[in-house]
Amino acid sequence: MPHVMISSKKCTGCHMCELGCSAWHEGGFQPSRARLFADVNPTTAVIKGHSCLQTGCAKCQEACPNDAIVAREITVTPSGTFASKEKVGDSVTGIVLVVDEEKCNNCGDCYDVCPYGVIHEHPERKVAFKCDLCDGDPQCIAFCQNQYVLAVDLKVDKADRALTAKA
Amino acid sequence: MDFYKGHVLKIDMSAGTAEVEPLNMEWARLYVGGKGLMLRYLWDLTEPGMDPWSPENPLIVAPGPFAGTNVSTCSRVVLGGKSPANGTILDSYCGGSFGSVLKFAGYDLIIVQGCAAELTAVLIKDDKVSFVPAAKYAGMLTADIEAALRADFDPHMTSLSIGPAGEHKLPWACVSNDQYHKAGRGGTGALMGSKNLKAIAVAGTGRVTVGDARAFLEDIERIDTDYILTDSNYWVHEEGTPVLVDVTDGAGCQPTRNYSSGTFKGAGNINSEAFKKIRVKKRACYQCTLACRNFHRINDIEGEGPEYETIALCGSNVGVDDIAALVQFNHLCDEYGLDTISTGNVLGLAMDMTEKGIHDFGLHFGDIEAYLKIPEQLALRTGVGAELAMGSRALAAKYGHPELGMQVKGLEAPGYDPRGSFGMSIAYATSDRGACHMRSFPIGVEIVEGTMPADTLDESKAEFNVTFQNHYAFKFCGVWCDFWAIDYEQMGMLMKHLWKREVTEEEMTQVGERVWNLGRLFNLREGYSKADDVIPEAWLEKPFSDGVSAGKIIGTARFNEVLGQYYALRGWDEDGVPTEAKLTELGIDVRL
Repeated sequence: MPHVMISSKKCTGCHMCELGCSAWHEGGFQPSRARLFADVNPTTAVIKGHSCLQTGCAKCQEACPNDAIVAREITVTPSGTFASKEKVGDSVTGIVLVVDEEKCNNCGDCYDVCPYGVIHEHPERKVAFKCDLCDGDPQCIAFCQNQYVLAVDLKVDKADRALTAKA
Repeated sequence: MDFYKGHVLKIDMSAGTAEVEPLNMEWARLYVGGKGLMLRYLWDLTEPGMDPWSPENPLIVAPGPFAGTNVSTCSRVVLGGKSPANGTILDSYCGGSFGSVLKFAGYDLIIVQGCAAELTAVLIKDDKVSFVPAAKYAGMLTADIEAALRADFDPHMTSLSIGPAGEHKLPWACVSNDQYHKAGRGGTGALMGSKNLKAIAVAGTGRVTVGDARAFLEDIERIDTDYILTDSNYWVHEEGTPVLVDVTDGAGCQPTRNYSSGTFKGAGNINSEAFKKIRVKKRACYQCTLACRNFHRINDIEGEGPEYETIALCGSNVGVDDIAALVQFNHLCDEYGLDTISTGNVLGLAMDMTEKGIHDFGLHFGDIEAYLKIPEQLALRTGVGAELAMGSRALAAKYGHPELGMQVKGLEAPGYDPRGSFGMSIAYATSDRGACHMRSFPIGVEIVEGTMPADTLDESKAEFNVTFQNHYAFKFCGVWCDFWAIDYEQMGMLMKHLWKREVTEEEMTQVGERVWNLGRLFNLREGYSKADDVIPEAWLEKPFSDGVSAGKIIGTARFNEVLGQYYALRGWDEDGVPTEAKLTELGIDVRL
């Protein structure tokens, strides 16, 4: 299924993905509320990207006692280019995992199991919040457009591509 | 409020207290942010003739209004005050992430005054400010203090810190952010050191609003594509500043052996091609898609840089073409907290005086062993460093050869010799902080583009400098980086978001001119005058004997004539003092 990944090797540490993400979702630039992040050590310049693998991981969905992490069909058509565009095409249809805020009671079980640290309590709404692929135009990809970098990428694994083709 | 946070954080180091006051929005309208806003606050916070080493001298940290958004290059901050190096205005810039994170913490400006009884670190986490004794950080090098603050305070903090050079108040000590970003020129580190301030660390969780965020994102995506990620800007990513080595060397303006030549025979060993061979990765400042920073690895040293200025001043100007030694020297300057331009300039002077038999400093052009000891000796003021620490102007004067000190207004010159680019003579003479290439850069048209002749000086060059200085004075209010060749049309696109209306080129030019004139007033108030708008005699009267600029002379009479034309174009009187009419026209509300 479609998901976004930050290549730790290609990433230059500009944090534009976090800025685009937070502004699109939160109405202002606030990286502390970004749904993906690049952990950068300024001294060693070692970078580690963290992002949601959606159904490729789904530990949050498995852990949720309230069925609040729900699968929703989505067509992802990123604006601009990305590294694996030739492989996956301009547009990918599949499933994204989103939070049903009616069902979520902020129990925190998903926060504990997420291996990437990308699902948290929303400080104001007091429910979980996570990557939803921006209704199909991921802002993290839109703002990683340096042609020599293209670190934020749209990925689909082989098994999913077969499923999509079958559907 | 959009873009601005509306808060100024005032820190009193003597009392160990911090308070928040509202941002002066009238000043924000007139001066936008960054350089302009810093200067306006500086004027009010200082008494005429204030000793720059006194506790009253403020350290002002000012990002621009776009810091904390996704406008590329705008994470930059200006560090300002009255320069401890030479008493002019101090406005020194660094990239990194401090400007953005400061906005997330909720502040448009930090003003630090006073002096702590003991070495202290100031920690800012959103609205909480604490003062912690920094005895255990004393003497720490840049990498160590960064690591210690991350471990002791917050793993996601960013900081402005000084190395041993700042603690020992070396006049050209710099301030570091995120390890490799330096507010290098004019002694920002000495200013922090004089306040017993080892570091200001900040972590912020708040937000910067811009109005309709999604409409803003759409516009920035367009601007990124059309105006930032373009073939004409990509050189900063593909090459970075080392590309300038071939440019300046080819034009005969690369400082070589204390500016005795404009051409360096070892240039091919330290040019962009040479550095590409040891490049291991590219890195970016916060909120910048260009990613100009080059990480190099050679022998057991890996780190960012050197950039062009370091290559020129600490390479060719001291006769060093050993790339490994140059990388190591740059690393040592970064770690000890030294501005590499002044370091290489002073070192070149000492080598020149030694080789001319004026005084034996034990330093010779190209002598790597002595060279590599210099950063530590300067920072700790030990050995020969104790004497070199007085700077080029004082050192050259002390030994009776002021003509060998390549400086303007007491600030050591950077990596462009005006004999290969005549317009630089006026750029240096009129720069508000002394010899500086970041106020006006005739190299661009005289050498890179070749649209103006490099070996003529006339009124067109005076006009070019006025136009460029106004443009950059506004740009540094933004605070856009030099590496985005942003024009008024593009700045206008962004200003439209800030002021919520169309903004004309005339309005932006006027802000730039206002800032430039306020800087001039400050320098005049502090005792500088027309007599200081001079450059080293060698640049005017002593032609090179080799390279493409050989034999070319600007001439003192010609220089003075064009300087007079510059004053007239500025609306200044013949002594270089802004006229009442000019100040009124610009809406400047302070007077000498």
